[in-house]
Amino acid sequence: MEVELRNITKRFGEVVANDDVNLTIRAGEVLGLLGENGAGKSTLMNVLSGLYTADEGEILINGKPVDFKGPGDSISAGIGMVHQHFMLIPVFTVAENVILGVEPTGKIDYLDLKKARLQVREINQKYGLEVDPDELIENLPVGIQQRVEIIKVLFRSADVIIFDEPTAVLTPQEVTEFFEIVKSLRDTGKAIVFITHKLHEILDISDRISVLRRGQIVGEGDPQTTTQTELAEMMVGRPVSFNVDKEPYAPADVLLDIEDLTVLRENDDVAVDGINLKVHSGEIVGVAGVQGNGQSSLIEALTGLTRVAGGTVKFNGQNITHASTRARHRMGIAHIPEDRQRMGMIADFSIAENMVLDTYYDDRFSKHRVINWPKAYKNSARVAADYDVRMTSVHDAAGNLSGGNQQKMVVARELSRETMFLIAAQPTRGLDVGSIEYIHSRIINARDEGDGVLFVSSELDEIMALSDRVVVMFEGRIVAEFDATTHPLDKNTIGLAMAGAVA
Amino acid sequence: MLELQKNKVLALISGVGILLGSTVAAADFTACQVTDTGGIDDNSFNQTAWKGVLDAQETLGIDGRFLESQAETDYEANIVSLLGGQCDVIITVGFLLGDATQAAAEANPDQKFSIVDYAYDPAIPNVLGQVYATDEAAFMAGYLAAGVSETGIVGTFGGINIPPVTIFMDGFVHGVNYHNAEKGTNVAVLGWDVDSREGLFTNNFDSLDDGRAYAQNLYDEGADIVLPVAGPVGLGSAALADELGVDKLKIIGVDADLYLTDPAKQHVYLTSITKRMDATVLDVIEAAMSGTFEGGVLVGTLANGGVDLAPFHDMEAMVSDELKKELDVIRQGISDGSISVGG
Amino acid sequence: MNEQTESLSEKLLQRAAPGRVDFEDMVVVPVFAVIVALILGAVAMLATNVDLATIGRSYVALVVGSVGSVNAISETLTAATPLVLASLGMAVGFRAGLFNIGAEGQLLIGGMAAVIVGFSFAGMPTYVHLPLALIAGAVAGGLYAGIAGWLRAATGAHEVISTIMLNLMSYRLVDYILRLPVVQREGRADPISRSVLDSAELPRLLEWIDPNLRLHSGLFVMLVAVFLVYWLLFKTTFGFEFRASGANPEAARYAGMRSGLIIVIVMVFAGAMAGLAGANQTLGVLGRATPGFSAGIGFDAIAVALLGRSHPVGVLMAGLLFGALEAGGRQMQVDAGVSIDLIAIIQALIIVFIAAPLLVRKIFPWGFQKETRAGKE
Repeated sequence: MEVELRNITKRFGEVVANDDVNLTIRAGEVLGLLGENGAGKSTLMNVLSGLYTADEGEILINGKPVDFKGPGDSISAGIGMVHQHFMLIPVFTVAENVILGVEPTGKIDYLDLKKARLQVREINQKYGLEVDPDELIENLPVGIQQRVEIIKVLFRSADVIIFDEPTAVLTPQEVTEFFEIVKSLRDTGKAIVFITHKLHEILDISDRISVLRRGQIVGEGDPQTTTQTELAEMMVGRPVSFNVDKEPYAPADVLLDIEDLTVLRENDDVAVDGINLKVHSGEIVGVAGVQGNGQSSLIEALTGLTRVAGGTVKFNGQNITHASTRARHRMGIAHIPEDRQRMGMIADFSIAENMVLDTYYDDRFSKHRVINWPKAYKNSARVAADYDVRMTSVHDAAGNLSGGNQQKMVVARELSRETMFLIAAQPTRGLDVGSIEYIHSRIINARDEGDGVLFVSSELDEIMALSDRVVVMFEGRIVAEFDATTHPLDKNTIGLAMAGAVA
Repeated sequence: MLELQKNKVLALISGVGILLGSTVAAADFTACQVTDTGGIDDNSFNQTAWKGVLDAQETLGIDGRFLESQAETDYEANIVSLLGGQCDVIITVGFLLGDATQAAAEANPDQKFSIVDYAYDPAIPNVLGQVYATDEAAFMAGYLAAGVSETGIVGTFGGINIPPVTIFMDGFVHGVNYHNAEKGTNVAVLGWDVDSREGLFTNNFDSLDDGRAYAQNLYDEGADIVLPVAGPVGLGSAALADELGVDKLKIIGVDADLYLTDPAKQHVYLTSITKRMDATVLDVIEAAMSGTFEGGVLVGTLANGGVDLAPFHDMEAMVSDELKKELDVIRQGISDGSISVGG
Repeated sequence: MNEQTESLSEKLLQRAAPGRVDFEDMVVVPVFAVIVALILGAVAMLATNVDLATIGRSYVALVVGSVGSVNAISETLTAATPLVLASLGMAVGFRAGLFNIGAEGQLLIGGMAAVIVGFSFAGMPTYVHLPLALIAGAVAGGLYAGIAGWLRAATGAHEVISTIMLNLMSYRLVDYILRLPVVQREGRADPISRSVLDSAELPRLLEWIDPNLRLHSGLFVMLVAVFLVYWLLFKTTFGFEFRASGANPEAARYAGMRSGLIIVIVMVFAGAMAGLAGANQTLGVLGRATPGFSAGIGFDAIAVALLGRSHPVGVLMAGLLFGALEAGGRQMQVDAGVSIDLIAIIQALIIVFIAAPLLVRKIFPWGFQKETRAGKE
């Protein structure tokens, strides 16, 4: 099967999301579609999967033009999409989720679950997916949930499978397993579209690469001969530096001093188990670890969002173990939360309002509890320009910004005031290369100016690029510590520690 | 009938005259009614009063309009929206409209008002209050109940503890007591204490469930005759009597002859204490038409037919001829003042 | 900061003109909603055997009775005033993510407190007595709502449940208070309070034209409240915290706002507004209190707040619309003999259609700009 997108153009009002795009998808081949957030990748794929209708151009399957009126048409034409956000019902079993909407039925609408389970097993075997059809979705790790999505697509007999940012939610180990699955799918003759902005992944898995920028195909590449640098330049439109420049390591006084910190989860499980950690002024301490090993609880405890069960936290010599969030904030602790949409910003509020979300009360912006909005607007505009937040007006809703710009907005808010310490959790998750580069430079800038930085990320590359020291968290404890200033960091050693392989 | 009898005849004549003379032309007299929150179709006093207007429409050829009140805050607004000369007489129905009617009447001395179930002291010159000596008929009902009861216990309950309700209960209790005194019986009344002014009240005029539950309570305490004074609530009590059987529980209706208005359960009613609001409303309209309207009080009594005890209908056999005779004597005694219904 | 960022930041300050879509949602949808509701109301009348002439007459009466005369306007405003007051409180609650069902109870308690102050303190001058009675209403309503707020903040008890329960309690509480010898009107056995003294009554505004015009100075209380709520929500740090907590409680917490305190403050404020609405009824319309004086205003206020999109100006407009429907509905009854229940149907239909803008857009496709699928990327 061969699918050809010919001269596709899609506009939203004045915005041209796809501009005369030509693309061919072939059976037995992985097509890597590379582009920054907002480059038009998802729009293009939504056109292909029937969610949008193109304003111009046509889609041809095996040389014949087709007209998709909706997702149903596309599915029956053999095109399946695995979305970045899974569309599964947590309290249903794997088999139930797979057959949802296309239930095999017997007489009088009898739901033939037995048949469904059998079919799931068959697909399992054929592609080596290893998913128990009777397990509830909510009991499965993210990586397996993704496989359920793949089974769903295969169950609907798709010949073309589109993966939208499939690795964003996976651990490094899961990524490796996922790539094996993709390869086995390809080898059975499926056509795969792999959408991502991660350069090394696209080089690993693709047979062919197309790069989208501002709605246009700006280049194609052969993964055998193309380098990351070339791809990055195509994607961003300018040379990108992967090396982070920073001042020599010169730690000063201890800023944050954590002693025997213990934090419980809501169900009284131990989340952080007696951690000791010191962060100095002028250094970046990276906290590595697979998600769910207590990093989030550690940060909540340090920012005053959760109650501490035991131990002490000192900041700049002061005991802040039980200080309020606001009090810590006023001491100069900045916090970039791990989930910007949920914790870091209010989508319905304007950008200006978001820019003062945690500073509205201070003397700069309000007096006697009356907010000086003109001043706040001016400040927001200045900071936004300063931090390269791309938008049309500070009065626009923050939810309309792209992910990268939302994160830049949060970073701008947190760092544009007088800070002494920065707590950053997953600050570049889901962002494009340009934004990542920018945010990294800002974090390093803060460190060079003498701030202490505690930096949590599940991206090992990022940890290794930025940190002066690295600690690895596993099951609530610090199980390993590495000093990048004395010995070069080794990815494998850290990776093993993350998996708990250190005694 | 009533003190305005002569005028009624005159009005009737003129009314018929209008009817004959102008079957096509619009009526030149309009009577307007404002209901309380019970609404125009409450099977009770709003509806009965409206029947008076409808009767007048039929016999006198007038125009009738009504306005239903949704809430207490509507009373004044509704009255005000009927001002401005479009209504020759405004009839407000219910004790609860007393304040609003007074305010409107005082602000508009040229507008004729009449209010059902309320009277002003001192009288307002442009308001004719229609009140009912229901205790007279209730007294008879009490005497009757005491005579018919086999358990020696009868019961009553009310809607809200307000005079137009408790006056029934007063008369009923006094009637029972009169029977005890005259015949040496010892029939007890549950549900109302005349002296402390406390008793059994549902605190609403619409819950049939309450009517059933309250009657059940009284029945459980031994009562075999119950007088519910709470409008449609009593229909719930009737349903209970229907299920238990009339030999176990009988109901005395109020306001209208419920044997006629509640045909489905007519066999459970021993009698009804009727309050002829339709008659008094019709009288008021006639008086207003004939120019004899005067502020003050129009009292419906046993003597002028404004209140009465309904026939026994199916229960005729349950009431002994002797008791019937005694009731006639009492009626006579109340009318000529020789028997006081005030206990 | 260099010149380039300077000029860029200047540009970012510019406000985009309100989009066509916003305008349509704010103005076109409500207008169409009213039209559709009226048409369906007519269908409902037809279905109940009302003839066309009467339907026409009743809609004329609806307009005449709501804006057709001084009295009509007076009645519309009189009915709108307590609705707007109570729903301002609701709106603040909605903005803060609290669904306060308890306006009815808060209104009763507030109105009751205002009456008690209003008939006590004989001989006090109006400029002391009236504000005192109004404040008593606001404070009592606020404290009553504060119970629900405190329960939510301290124990997590959901305010929908607790305010419903407080409503039920308030009915009985008012019954009880009205029977207290110090409150109950002398010579009455039924629950009715003493009359509010002249010095505590909200003076009527149009008595010089016609003594029957009920419009009273509660109107000014309402207008001040509209402005005050606008200012509170959009200009103060309190309002910022309210709105942030409502729009994204998690983000508000991360920004260091204290959600428990905010919940209590918002509930107290909402209760105070409902209490003022109650005081407005007892001091301005009735001059006394009886068990039913709340008349469901606290529940209508929920609809008004939703209709007004929880914006003070929207609430004012929605309140005026409801007031007009009430006053006009009365005239419909008088002139056309159409049941008052029909007004309730029309009100409900308007709410349904305004709450479902997509439906209105589907019914009147020609009234709107061609829809574009809003989507990022």
